[in-house]
Amino acid sequence: MATLTDNPLLSAGALEAVIRNGGDPEWLAEERRAALRTFMATPWPTERDEDWRYTQLDRFSVTNLEPTDGPASREVSERIRMRMEDSDAEGILVHANGETIERIAKIREEGVIFSDLRSAVRDHEDLVREHLYSTVNAHAGKYHALNAAFWQNGTFVYVPKNVEVELPLGAFTTADRGGLSMGRTLIVVEDNAKVTFLDEYTSDPFDARLFHGAATELVLGPGAKVRYLSLQNWGRNVAHMNRLAAKLGRDARLESLTVSVGGDAARAEVNSSMQGPGSESEMLGLYFADKGQHYNQYTLQHHEADHAFSDVLFKGALRDASHAVYSGIIVVDEGAQKTDAYQTNRNLLLDAESEAVSIPQLQIGANDVRCSHGSTTGPVPEDQRFYLMSRGMQPEVAEHLLVTGFLYEVMSRVTLPKAAEYVERVVQAKLGVPGVKEKL
Amino acid sequence: MSENRLEIRNLHARIEGGAEILKGVDLVVPAGEVHALMGQNGSGKSTLAKVMAGDPSYEITDGDILIDGESILEMEPDERARAGLYLAFQYPVEVPGVSIANFLRLALNARREDDDEIGVMEFYEKLQRAVKELNWDESIIERNLHEGFSGGEKKRSEILQLLVLEPKYAILDETDSGLDVDALKVVSQGVNAARGANFGALVITHYQRLLNYIVPDKVHVMSDGRIITTGEKELAMQLDDKGYDWIKSEVASGAAPA
Ligand SMILES: Nc1ncnc2c1ncn2[C@@H]1O[C@H](COP(=O)(O)OP(=O)(O)OP(=O)(O)O)[C@@H](O)[C@H]1O
Ligand SMILES: [Mg+2]
Repeated sequence: MATLTDNPLLSAGALEAVIRNGGDPEWLAEERRAALRTFMATPWPTERDEDWRYTQLDRFSVTNLEPTDGPASREVSERIRMRMEDSDAEGILVHANGETIERIAKIREEGVIFSDLRSAVRDHEDLVREHLYSTVNAHAGKYHALNAAFWQNGTFVYVPKNVEVELPLGAFTTADRGGLSMGRTLIVVEDNAKVTFLDEYTSDPFDARLFHGAATELVLGPGAKVRYLSLQNWGRNVAHMNRLAAKLGRDARLESLTVSVGGDAARAEVNSSMQGPGSESEMLGLYFADKGQHYNQYTLQHHEADHAFSDVLFKGALRDASHAVYSGIIVVDEGAQKTDAYQTNRNLLLDAESEAVSIPQLQIGANDVRCSHGSTTGPVPEDQRFYLMSRGMQPEVAEHLLVTGFLYEVMSRVTLPKAAEYVERVVQAKLGVPGVKEKL
Repeated sequence: MSENRLEIRNLHARIEGGAEILKGVDLVVPAGEVHALMGQNGSGKSTLAKVMAGDPSYEITDGDILIDGESILEMEPDERARAGLYLAFQYPVEVPGVSIANFLRLALNARREDDDEIGVMEFYEKLQRAVKELNWDESIIERNLHEGFSGGEKKRSEILQLLVLEPKYAILDETDSGLDVDALKVVSQGVNAARGANFGALVITHYQRLLNYIVPDKVHVMSDGRIITTGEKELAMQLDDKGYDWIKSEVASGAAPA
């Protein structure tokens, strides 16, 4: 079997090229080299690792990637254009094949920084240096070490104290070439500031296989309010590995939504650390797998401080021999009294060939807490299907309604109407609802 | 003889692989008429209703069901509905996350051609008219289908759907149970509003009081999976008075028509 180091894309030499091309300052170059060392020293996860059980690891392999030759297109694709027009964002970045090819910003609020990550390293070096790798670094695991070493570009957002950014900011990450791409989002929101950010991954299908590694770091100061949406709608030739990790200061509030509808295989790790008392993290997840897609989700609600609240709700539907894994844990540290933590995973199986595994866990070190977890996995209730059909609905219409109804519990909690509408459309297109355009 | 009718011929059915529940049901409801179906608990009334609607958990072993002379036995539940049949369920299920408005819009469109979807205005007018007919608050249409509905509200929803979908033949399975008198009047008003030459209904009930509001053209009595007798509307009152043992012995002695 080929080992990782056989992949020339991942060699020390390749890393030096990344450093050189990006003109990295020495501290960042050193961080990257250290990350590569950690990467080399870390074994690949196996099915025997608790956090990776039931993951179809071969579908996340990075050894058999053929980089596409020739220069990458720097044109913003029709697909992204349409999405940009449909968005009401104040600022948009487009990352294609690891490069930032478009930046549109009409940000009205004072002192807000919205830039690609490479430029931010140059223009806001101290800020980036302080926060980069603070929530997702090489020690988060093999794949994240890879990202920490090789990330090509990404997004940087900084919102100063007491500033509320009214309209969303967002980044579209896309590709039209195979191989390996690595992106990173760093969002720093100071005391009592507020922002909404949408990370969307989308591409037209192309032949070569692409592995995309994504890392998102969210730093919430005291009283900060952040809404973060990760929408994975890659073409079917893409494997997507994403880690979102947030640390929350006192009374901060995070609302996150992680959507998986595209790609061949996708893993989303969503991690909130309630470091400040009274902080709150709502972690929503939604997935709809078909035609053999494999989705894998992992959540961690880490209660370090007292009086904090966290709520995970991950719901997904599966059909055509698709596969989903959810594994999640609530960790309550000693002294994190009055913790309120909930965790729910529900799967709807639309055929007998699809499969979902759910592993909810609790690890509680304090005695005065309220925690609950639960999961359900099952087929469409026959009595509901019969009821809808008895009203004249064709089986496919009934199924569409049952799936959207099932996902409604998540959708109804999404406070971003534009994004919610789009997610609904993508799900409907996937369901094959007549009148909803396939290509989105 | 007019073919304009709902007809059940010698219908035998059982739970998939289980004992027989319907043991030869014969029943005709001509369009333009409303018939009552009465019978003790467990006599097979709901089974008959669900079998007619095409509930996949039952197996038909003999007999036929016809709408206007056409057998519907080979039809899926949705095809039967589109052929004009409607069942108001005794226990309507909850469908989470699906609003009544969205549900009914899709149900209506399912009956129309792909390129002929109902207009938004036309739909809402139709829906609002039905809501008003039932003395209901308009906000109900945004609620999720039966989620958190009281028993009475569920029954009312079944009639709301009937008014919007305008079926040719309706089966109402104990739509009156659990309703207070006011709601009963409202629901009956809904059914009576649907009455006409092109509408036939089979009203399953235990109570004469419903039949004061929805006056039936005929009353059928079911026992142990068969219709044991059929009479005029007075039969319902007699049943209320004297009970099912009385009618069974009447039938046995030949005093009542079998
Ligand atoms: N799905 C089922 N599984 C097992 N038994 C069933 C099922 N459906 C009906 N039965 C049985 O068939 C018989 C008839 O039931 P059904 O519900 O049709 O009666 P009913 O006349 O509607 O009674 P009620 O007046 O109480 O509503 C009963 O003995 C019932 O237990
Ligand atoms: Mg019954």
